[in-house]
Amino acid sequence: MTSRVMRDFDLLLPESVTEVVTLLARHKDKSAILAGGTDLLVALKFDYAIDNVISLALVPGLGTLRFDPQDGLVIGAKVTVAEILKSAEVKANYPALWQAAQVFATPQLRNTATVLGNIMRASPAGDCSLAILALGGTVLLQSTAGQREVDLDNFWLSYAVTARQDDELAIAVKIPAPPSGQKSAFRRMTRTTEDLSKLGAAVSLHMAGNVCQQARVAMGCVGPTLVRLPAIEKILAGAKVTTELLQDIVGSVAAEINPIDDQRSSADYRLKVAGVLVRRVIEQALDNEGNVQ
Amino acid sequence: MTEYAVIGKKVERVDARIKVMGGALYAADIQMAGMLYGKIVRCYDYAHARVTGLDLSEAAKCPGVVTVLGPEDVTTKAYNASVLDMMVSTDMRTVLGDIDDQNIFTDHVKHYGDAIAAIIAISEEAAERAAEKVKATYEELPVYLTAEASKQPDAIQFRPEKPGNLAFQLPEMAFPNNSYAWGDVDKSFADADIIVEDTFYVPKQKQCQMEPGNYIALYDDQQRLNCWTSTQMPKLVQKKLANLFELPMTRVKINQTVIGGGFGARLGMVLEPETCALAMAVPGRPVKILSTREEDWVTSPSRHPGKYWMRMGFKKDGTPVACDAKFENYKGAYYVDASGTAFTTGAWLGGMYKFDSLRYHGESYYTNQSICGAFRGYGNPQTNFVMEQLVDRGCVELGVDPIEWRKKWHKTIGDDGWCMGVPYNSCALDECLDRAAAAIGWAEKREKYKHQSGNIRRGIGVAVMNHTSGAMPMLLEHTVCDVILHQDATATLNLACSDMGQGSHTTLRQVAAETLGFNYEDIYIATGNSDAAGFDIGAHASRTLYVGGGAVKQACEDARRQLFDRAALELEEEVGNLYMEDKIIHVKGTSNKSISVQTLTDQGINNFMNPETGELIGQPGQIKGYASFFPPHNAPPFGATIAEVEVDMETGEVRVLQLVNAHDVGKAIHPGVVEGQLDGGAQQGLGMVLTEETYYDDKGICLNNSFTDYKMLGPSDMPKMTNILVEDADPTGPFGAKSVGEAGIVPPVGATANAIFNAIGIQILEAPITPEKVLKAIII
Ligand SMILES: Cc1cc2nc3c(=O)[nH]c(=O)nc-3n(C[C@H](O)[C@H](O)[C@H](O)COP(=O)(O)OP(=O)(O)OC[C@H]3O[C@@H](n4cnc5c(N)ncnc54)[C@H](O)[C@@H]3O)c2cc1C
Repeated sequence: MTSRVMRDFDLLLPESVTEVVTLLARHKDKSAILAGGTDLLVALKFDYAIDNVISLALVPGLGTLRFDPQDGLVIGAKVTVAEILKSAEVKANYPALWQAAQVFATPQLRNTATVLGNIMRASPAGDCSLAILALGGTVLLQSTAGQREVDLDNFWLSYAVTARQDDELAIAVKIPAPPSGQKSAFRRMTRTTEDLSKLGAAVSLHMAGNVCQQARVAMGCVGPTLVRLPAIEKILAGAKVTTELLQDIVGSVAAEINPIDDQRSSADYRLKVAGVLVRRVIEQALDNEGNVQ
Repeated sequence: MTEYAVIGKKVERVDARIKVMGGALYAADIQMAGMLYGKIVRCYDYAHARVTGLDLSEAAKCPGVVTVLGPEDVTTKAYNASVLDMMVSTDMRTVLGDIDDQNIFTDHVKHYGDAIAAIIAISEEAAERAAEKVKATYEELPVYLTAEASKQPDAIQFRPEKPGNLAFQLPEMAFPNNSYAWGDVDKSFADADIIVEDTFYVPKQKQCQMEPGNYIALYDDQQRLNCWTSTQMPKLVQKKLANLFELPMTRVKINQTVIGGGFGARLGMVLEPETCALAMAVPGRPVKILSTREEDWVTSPSRHPGKYWMRMGFKKDGTPVACDAKFENYKGAYYVDASGTAFTTGAWLGGMYKFDSLRYHGESYYTNQSICGAFRGYGNPQTNFVMEQLVDRGCVELGVDPIEWRKKWHKTIGDDGWCMGVPYNSCALDECLDRAAAAIGWAEKREKYKHQSGNIRRGIGVAVMNHTSGAMPMLLEHTVCDVILHQDATATLNLACSDMGQGSHTTLRQVAAETLGFNYEDIYIATGNSDAAGFDIGAHASRTLYVGGGAVKQACEDARRQLFDRAALELEEEVGNLYMEDKIIHVKGTSNKSISVQTLTDQGINNFMNPETGELIGQPGQIKGYASFFPPHNAPPFGATIAEVEVDMETGEVRVLQLVNAHDVGKAIHPGVVEGQLDGGAQQGLGMVLTEETYYDDKGICLNNSFTDYKMLGPSDMPKMTNILVEDADPTGPFGAKSVGEAGIVPPVGATANAIFNAIGIQILEAPITPEKVLKAIII
């Protein structure tokens, strides 16, 4: 049950990353970072109580959205989903992420919500997170002790739990430069257009002609965290992407996932359509070159 | 066709500017000196339990708390939050079995969110924090979520006077065999060549009005109980509160605030009793109660869900011989509208087709869900979902076109309408069907979609409906209006009709301007003050333009007649020789004999003496028109929708591509307002058939009382939509108008279901038709 009045907390407004991490070191699990607040404020309206809210609003330097053909993409902690959508470089090089941003919530939400916030929320329905998992991202964490990087594959530990220590600030997520021939796509299913995912899939395929050399296949809303589907990646690796192969994939997805019944759909339904969704997202990734035979 | 000056014009809506500019004052916006805040303590742990202990002592000690209130600290008088019982005679109330079974706070929790106590504090925050400190202990009771469960012989009885937890069935005295019926159904079925039959489920849809339940009450120094509320029924709520708190009506004042959407959710009382009870506990201090969305969801009424069985019989030539139906609705925790929907659901059924015989049973069973009450359509969308799907199944078996069959067998002028004995006096449904079919290309698409394969299949379906303009003769219909003419020849209407956003204050003003012969800008509508306004039933049953408009027209005719009488005296002419143009009354056939309305209205007020002659100039007395209006009929509107859908055979997802709504509206007083009603209706109709349902776990805990978990269609989900207004003036409506407020929600329900049937060849019996259900049905 929500409340109309949020519980008391101290709003802290640090003005540098150093100040943020100093505050985090002091308050640890008695604090929460406020980026766009589209998840945090919802939680605060429910029973969530926290003593200190550390806002990133006045912290400079976290708004970087930088693409380099060698080093790839860096998304700073304050980059919003709307900014992703505006980036021609993201659109050209990371279609999966751009497509996730495109269907993400509503214009108002996109203007506020950050990509990092989406990752830190560790929801199995995180759309940008799902795309970045398929694209192979790394989270940059900073504390008073220094910086470290955690691969997204090892970042989400369980529902709403990440590998972040409570004194760490996520300052960016990095996505490697796409090798030539990389195709990616994102697709989700919702109850109405403006909704959280009830099922999501994202792929990045390293194609040579119509042969897939390597694949990353990820799904959302099929377990407590976003997951990769190694068995499907294996089917794709080194294979010619044909209609038969895709049919094979459709039949193989259900064994890889562990969905539940919830407000948005049922386990049964998710198991039935997950394969179709994966097939479609692969087709969508390859679409512009008509590589499916 | 008659040429009107204001009627039929898209004038600026009276509420448009203020709402768009943020100037509209909703109850939540109102601040008062010394305001206190109330928080109702609700049981969210159980849906059915007895309160075995209630300890308010810790809460009372919290900072900022003024007082804490348990069940015995407020009136323990029982009430019925619905106002239906005030629209029938005392005798009829007894026949119907209406009861008062609600209390301000309860020691027997009957649904998730039932109220057990309250806090009054100096701030909202203090009240909320104190509410968390209330300690209640409960004895858990078995939970009944369906009629099937609550009618079991060993089930706990909700009310001693309602055995079997049957809150309502059509009473034997008024409805022999407890059924709404004509002919001999059993005999007719014996004559049928084709019989179709099924049991459907219709969902617990929520109105989702934008403004949640927010109220202020003040028991003032003059010992008057004031309530600021966005109720859609101010005069009946005034009377209900007077009854509950045992005060004369002169000591109860309703200040109607801007209504942030109603759709039935504010039909009757919602949290007015609680807010007023709190205010009575702290005389002289205003108390404000603000609901969260989740709270509003479970405390205001929803649509009646339930099992709906129907059987239809046809002759080979298509003749509909018999229809038998039973709607067992899951009424929720309290009686409220138990009688209304259980009856009307069958009434709409009876009003549609020329069956030789028909029999309908409507039963309302208590359940441990939140209450059901009025929701746009009032049983009609439920009937549309079931009746129209069965008709289409019949059409498939008969091998006839669904539009042709409907054109042949729908009821029309001279046939009994939804109320037996009250025949239709206008009907343009054929034209609706023809124009909708032409607009969408029905015949070609129907043919084209016959043979499809592949993953994406299209379908096209139709549904029709009848509705009503006001609830006479079943319920009281009455509006009082007075219109006062000012000295500058402008006019103020004083009445209690509600504008919930449906545009009624705009259209009523148009009716007044046209009738008086004034400009639209010359009229002001004064509403919202129950001290000043005469009686009005309130906004329900799509009545406001038809009945309220009838009252406005009659009051304005009265004022106009007075103007003409005075003009006749001044001009020394017969009234019959006069006419008005641009607010000047002229004598027919002469060009120089005239008097302006302004001269007449001014002279009536400023009745000065001519200093030379010593005589009074003009006729004295401010002109006031008055009407206490009871409508002669209920002018049922008709409507048809054709829907075109696309079904994804691999995922079960349904996309509505297009809707064409053609409605027999009598006369569109304001075409923009009419279209707005049809658009909004369609959005809710599509929601009911595709996505919307409030649901509970098996313990009765509501799982989706929020916009995160309950999905309405948003703007980007809406299909391409065409509205066709068929204007065939009704002989009884003001300027020929019939209602449109509820009509729009109804046929999109059946049409969409039928389009899905057309696409996949299978009928989905349970609404909403989610992808999960479609996929289950199509994967063998
Ligand atoms: C109406 C609505 C619709 C939504 N629709 C979608 C949707 O379609 N798809 C979707 O994926 N999500 C959706 N969401 C969820 C939400 O908008 C996203 O998860 C969003 O990306 C969160 O970003 P934020 O900046 O608002 O995060 P915040 O709310 O500020 O933070 C989220 C969490 O991450 C932590 N955090 C944030 N930044 C950092 C950081 N730099 N370092 C450490 N911790 C950090 C916060 O403490 C908090 O716990 C929706 C939410 C709402 C309210």
